[in-house]
Amino acid sequence: MADTAARAPGAKAPGAGNNRPRRGKAQAILLSGLGKDNPVFAQILGICSTLAVTNSVRNTIVMCLGLLWACSMSNLSVSILRKRIPSRVRMIIETLIIAVWVIIVDIALKAFAPEVSRQLGPYVGLIITNCIVMGRTEAFALSNPPHFAFLDGVSSAVGYSYVLLIIASIREIMGFGTWLGLPLLGDWWTKWSIMTMAPSAFFLLAVLIWVVRGAILKEGRK
Amino acid sequence: MKSRIGAVLFTAAVTAAFVAPVALLNLATKDRVAENQELRLKRGVLEAAGLAVPASDADAAALFYFRVQRTSAEPGDFYRIMPEGRADGAAEAADAGAAESAFVIRQEGSGLWGRILALVGFEADGLTMTGLSFLEQGETPGLGARIDEEWFKAQFRGKRGPFETVPEGSAAESDQFDAISGATLTSNAVRDIVNAAAAAAMAARAGK
Repeated sequence: MADTAARAPGAKAPGAGNNRPRRGKAQAILLSGLGKDNPVFAQILGICSTLAVTNSVRNTIVMCLGLLWACSMSNLSVSILRKRIPSRVRMIIETLIIAVWVIIVDIALKAFAPEVSRQLGPYVGLIITNCIVMGRTEAFALSNPPHFAFLDGVSSAVGYSYVLLIIASIREIMGFGTWLGLPLLGDWWTKWSIMTMAPSAFFLLAVLIWVVRGAILKEGRK
Repeated sequence: MKSRIGAVLFTAAVTAAFVAPVALLNLATKDRVAENQELRLKRGVLEAAGLAVPASDADAAALFYFRVQRTSAEPGDFYRIMPEGRADGAAEAADAGAAESAFVIRQEGSGLWGRILALVGFEADGLTMTGLSFLEQGETPGLGARIDEEWFKAQFRGKRGPFETVPEGSAAESDQFDAISGATLTSNAVRDIVNAAAAAAMAARAGK
């Protein structure tokens, strides 16, 4: 049986929500990852990749697509198996499933988009270690039916994506003067070297979290 | 005890069920991946030789076929670049007596994260560089990995070593090249690789 202690925000207790109309609940799940349960600024998950890939918008987009695939498929798979997984090995099984879906992406990139694979190199494999994926399988997929788990995976990934794209856009524009490789600012702009390095992402993320939690998530958060 | 065996069996079953499709996918794409790598090598050699690399894979392979002679007898994987105008036959079959042709050396070095495999091209004099390209590098994407960008590689054309790095944008002498800001160690690694390749090139020529 799934661990009943210390459930992450947004997880539903087993059996809860059965009386709500399906469509309302699906919509609630889809929207939760975008706002109040956003994995990056609400749950503070997936920070390492936020810092690492966001110096280039293009790499960020590929990373987000990879996470979308990994998160939704892992959530789906774990949820399908959820009633049979012995609790003592549940993390091993989760890690295995996540690793398989990410490796599929890695192989597909190597075979069909070798240039992108070379550009991203180690970061694709690191999706396996992204806490969002494991976090959602543990907190949501283990105790919810497959269709909802899939939606939760999508929602978490989309929530992660837009936060990363905001940070990546700022970093690439200020650090390189380009966006997606297209030159935006002319020679008049002195490139901020710090924006190409990880510390800038620390600051940007902190400011973003501060703004969002202060201004938008005022209600219901201590 | 029974539940433990059950857990182990379940894990084994799930592992087999999930890993099998991945293994099959890997098998199915193996040839394609190998082809991509071979093509990558060919494009790299052409780029290091300073030749304009065609966009289409077929054209690139054809150009390689006609202009590049692989001679692995020499140390460090050596590619001889045959002069233009040879319309007949593969470069492989040409007479290796052309000791004065341009060439490309494969040189390995240590980057920040792992090994860097570079192809360094030289003119027939063994001193002036024709170009640089990377077969393999695992440097930080967005920082060290920028050594693979056009502007960085292009700065070596026509220059001769031994090289030293200078801050980005200030390369003036012909034995200087712009390092990448924020990627000092990777830039130094490239400097060492290029200098080592030049030394190997000299040694190879002296041995003739």
